[in-house]
Amino acid sequence: MKTGISVFLAAFVALGASWCGFVLAPMLQLGGAKQTVVLQSTDNWPLQRTGDATLGLQIYRAYGCAACHTEQVRQTGAAFEITLNSLGVQKPADFIEFTKSLFVLPELAAYTNAIATGLNDWNGGLPKTLLTSTDKDIVTEMADRLKAVGVKSETRIVATGADIARGWGSRQSVAADYLYDQPVQLGGLRAGPDLANIGVRAPDANWQLAHLYAPKSVTPASTMPSFKFLFEVRPVGATPSPDALNLPKEFAAAAGYEVIPKPEAKQLAAYLLSLKANVPLYEAPFTPVMPPNK
Amino acid sequence: MSDDHQSCSILSAGEPAATRSAAPMWIIVTTLVLLFLGGIYFDRHSGWFDAKVYAPYASAENLGAYQPQSGPAVFLARGRKNYEAVCGICHGPDGLGKPGQAPALAGSQLVNCKGFDRLIHIPLAGLAGPITVAGQGWNLNMAAMGAALPDDDLAAVLTYIRSSWGNTAGPVAGDDVKKVRAAIGRNPQPLGGAQTMAMPE
Repeated sequence: MKTGISVFLAAFVALGASWCGFVLAPMLQLGGAKQTVVLQSTDNWPLQRTGDATLGLQIYRAYGCAACHTEQVRQTGAAFEITLNSLGVQKPADFIEFTKSLFVLPELAAYTNAIATGLNDWNGGLPKTLLTSTDKDIVTEMADRLKAVGVKSETRIVATGADIARGWGSRQSVAADYLYDQPVQLGGLRAGPDLANIGVRAPDANWQLAHLYAPKSVTPASTMPSFKFLFEVRPVGATPSPDALNLPKEFAAAAGYEVIPKPEAKQLAAYLLSLKANVPLYEAPFTPVMPPNK
Repeated sequence: MSDDHQSCSILSAGEPAATRSAAPMWIIVTTLVLLFLGGIYFDRHSGWFDAKVYAPYASAENLGAYQPQSGPAVFLARGRKNYEAVCGICHGPDGLGKPGQAPALAGSQLVNCKGFDRLIHIPLAGLAGPITVAGQGWNLNMAAMGAALPDDDLAAVLTYIRSSWGNTAGPVAGDDVKKVRAAIGRNPQPLGGAQTMAMPE
């Protein structure tokens, strides 16, 4: 075979090029990733997990949770949102009249309908989202005009997309979120909801444990299999265990018995509670909702 | 097999050999067009391999436009940053103070009160002498730690401590700090403890 060396070189270049693209380039780009900081704060992100939660990650892996759950929130866009915080001395009716007067401005004309529909069924409650747009100039223009008439507003940055709308997170998942995951378990199928923020959505350890023991006890429509083998049903001793699950009546153990999580269940719950990828980062910015100031 | 069968025309013409031939022009043109389109796509969507740029953001510049610039959340964040750099060393990042060094700000009636003129006065002028915070007596000196901070930064710090760790007092504006600073003048003297406690809020 006279062309053997050319065939070998061609195959080598083809494989080498894909290795460079899929292995070398990501390694150069993200291989040196370090802890970063939460946007507008001095907090580090992400934090190393506690011992229990680190063990829990391996249990999450062993029972194949990633077969039905993802740990990745997707985002398709970002937008600016103007939220009214206070009308100052204005009354809601006057304010609606004022915004109508803004509609004659050519740069705001495209938003006329959106704002008008939003204000039609507005009962004067605050805070109120007035305008959502990807055009920063329009939003700045609107905010300046509101400021000029003494109305207090805040311009917020919001992530958009189906996952965000489902309440699975305030922003997309980025590489920094998985810094301490070994292995990273993104998952590929969403038979169940995304878990990237389950520690924020369900911060109660008893909820997590009850959900593992009998998923239907906390989510009636759940199709998740029960993980009863992670629990022990035993007679109540002289004093009830502080670890005993607090379950609704139809799922609770028989009288005189209590449901105790085995260490594995506690570790898995600790891992689930540690999933809180919901802080703003430079690479995934959003304006967090501040607790109301009394 | 007999020898007759092998005497077909291919063998009689000799061993076939691969020869070099020019690649067709259409393949070259198509490849160049695809490379060009790929280059345009790369330029618009890659973020030039910046590790911080993820889709849907197209470039570092585009991502920069979406960084929070203003608003209450940013003001509070600015306050927290300054607090942790200047005040947190003694009062603690959790606002609980340190025994023998500084009283707690969380739940302190000097912080968590309706007015804020007295609260602004303390970091601007300092405080020396016995005060009572949350039922506990303290007899320490605090230097005018906030005098070097710009008005806006100090207002942000005070807003932060008035709305954190369970405190629920209202925000302080930069203009409020400006007024108090003007009233204090250029050579601030630390107020005594009793004087401070007697000051109107």
